[in-house]
Amino acid sequence: MSNLLEHDENLERQLAGEPVAAPATGSLLLHLALAGAIVSYYIAGGFFKSNLWGGATSGGAIRVNLVSSAIPLPSDQPPNQNVLATEKPSPAPAPPTPKAAPKIDEQAIPIQGKHEQPKPQVAPRTPQKNPQPQQNNRAQYGEQAANNLPRSTTPQTSANGPVSVANGDFGTRFGWYVQIIKRKVDQNWNRQEVDHRTPIGAVATIYFKVDRSGIPSNFRIDRSSGSPTLDNSCLRAAQRVDTFGPLPPESNDRWLDVTYDCSNAPR
Amino acid sequence: MKAHLLLLVSAIIAAVLFPASRIGAQDWVHTGTNLGNARIRLGAADFKPAAADPQTPTLKATFDATLYSDLETAGIFDMVSKSMAPQAAPGSPQEINLPQWAAAPANAEMVAFGALKADNGRLVVYGWLDDTRNAANPQVLAKQYNEAATQDMARTVAHRFADEIILRLGGGINGIAETKIYFVSTRSGSKEIWAMDYDGQNQHQITHLGSISLSPRISPDNSRIAFASLGKEGWAIRMYSLDLGRLVSFPGGSAGGSNLSPAWSADGTKIAFSSGRTGDPEIWVADAGGGNLRKLTSFRGPDVSPTWNPRTNAQIAWVSGRTGLPQIYIMDQDGANIQRMTDGGYAISPSWHPNGQFLTFSWNRKYGPGAPGGQDIYVMDIASKRWMQLTHDSGSCDFPSWSPDGRHIVFERTIGRRSQIWAMLADGTQQQQLTKGGENFMPNWSWK
Repeated sequence: MSNLLEHDENLERQLAGEPVAAPATGSLLLHLALAGAIVSYYIAGGFFKSNLWGGATSGGAIRVNLVSSAIPLPSDQPPNQNVLATEKPSPAPAPPTPKAAPKIDEQAIPIQGKHEQPKPQVAPRTPQKNPQPQQNNRAQYGEQAANNLPRSTTPQTSANGPVSVANGDFGTRFGWYVQIIKRKVDQNWNRQEVDHRTPIGAVATIYFKVDRSGIPSNFRIDRSSGSPTLDNSCLRAAQRVDTFGPLPPESNDRWLDVTYDCSNAPR
Repeated sequence: MKAHLLLLVSAIIAAVLFPASRIGAQDWVHTGTNLGNARIRLGAADFKPAAADPQTPTLKATFDATLYSDLETAGIFDMVSKSMAPQAAPGSPQEINLPQWAAAPANAEMVAFGALKADNGRLVVYGWLDDTRNAANPQVLAKQYNEAATQDMARTVAHRFADEIILRLGGGINGIAETKIYFVSTRSGSKEIWAMDYDGQNQHQITHLGSISLSPRISPDNSRIAFASLGKEGWAIRMYSLDLGRLVSFPGGSAGGSNLSPAWSADGTKIAFSSGRTGDPEIWVADAGGGNLRKLTSFRGPDVSPTWNPRTNAQIAWVSGRTGLPQIYIMDQDGANIQRMTDGGYAISPSWHPNGQFLTFSWNRKYGPGAPGGQDIYVMDIASKRWMQLTHDSGSCDFPSWSPDGRHIVFERTIGRRSQIWAMLADGTQQQQLTKGGENFMPNWSWK
């Protein structure tokens, strides 16, 4: 009997539907409320502008490590023009095969009076005494060998970096060139042009600019001696110089500013 | 009395012990003021042999001698004599002892030094130029040469290194160590055109015409020689190509009458010469190919020996006999603006300075029987017409020709009916004879 009863109860429970409607509705309402709250938060937040970037709170700032002080420049190596996808592209073309020396025909009768012009031989460049440091701030592009890549992330060791400032030391590095300027202007100074009433020791100072090829320009009187004849003779002396010779190739100066004193010495 | 005797004896002893030369010592100091610029004191060390090859010593001897001679001839250096130079031959910037060169007796401001070796038939030369007064950055120049190991190349390399030094220290004017001089020589039996290096080395014959050839003028690009030659039609301007090794046509130079004394314009496109085709020798101008002839002068009396202003290419100096004795005149290239430069005497053979400022010519200022002086070389500043005499009382000098650096003049000097080629600095110093054999005339210095 009891068994029957239990059987009936079980059957009743199985036949009767579970009460899911109420919890489902509750869940749906809860989700809708959450979504509404998020939407209304952003709508409401749009009316109240605030700047909370960093600020005084700890951990707000970003720590920056300086990688290179200079702006990345295009790579010194040309981009790879190869249209084929390669595993290991060659950064440079193969060196040309050396030219074979011209054969001299020992049997040939030499043509009278004919002389072969010797070909100008380009002397190989020797390393400079004061080599300029290489700048390692070239950006990478194109397909290149992998060993070039870490260059742009080499950390800078000191504040100034490897560049030595060489402004204003032309006179000490290239004293011989200064001597050439002195010598050539002096050679072209015609002292007869100076009026004999000019006091002994009067000094005229002129200015001129010497470009990289050694040609002077922009002549002007920097400080007058008080004697127009001395001033002009000094100016003309510099103007007579065609060239002082190219500036030393080791120098980085694009031009040289020169002031030159002409002193009226006793004759 | 005894004391007096003692004094006398001691005085005699003193006189014997300290000889009179000490008392009467004489020294000579030569100095002056406003003598112009002091030249750069330059030392040329013997190069260090860097290999034990048997060729090295002979090549080194040639190289050292040529380099020293080139630098000495340049006219801008006061060379340290080899006997006063430090004995060690430095082969590299690490080995040189600059304070030793800067100190007495060398007193050098600059030192040229280096190393040289012959190796497997190649001559390898390393050369440096150092400033002795700049201890921090002494190096002015560093060069390396690699050529065939022959005597000629040893001389050529020395010439090139010397030219580099001269270009650096001479204020941007190229050296002349690799230039050539063309001249007329009788060595082969007839008057033919010859050529030699600027220092008189490597003399060789160019033309083989068997006639009489005069006044060679090399073109600015060193490819052709214009000269006057006696042929079937009389004196004609001929053109010899150095590239082809034979005569090439110059049609404008052979029309009737005597055609003499050609002169190239500095751009190599025109040739001025003297032609008697109208009966009277006048200055004519033709293209380098011999066409497009124009007459520039038309005065009674001969007009000969034109020379172009190499700087502007717009003026011609020449010799005219319109007032009797030959005088130097200048005019524009179209024949206008004629100006007489010399005031008398017998003035011939003008040559124009590369920068256009000066003329050099041969002048006998007091011409006539029994007049003092002779035919000498003069330089005239064109703007002021002030002149300077370069040769004095040493034969008859004629046909001066400027070097391309404007610091040297080559000329012909006749002593006792024998003419030879000489060269000197443009102030008349450092005169040296370049030719010895036969008779040699009418030198012309190449343009580069």
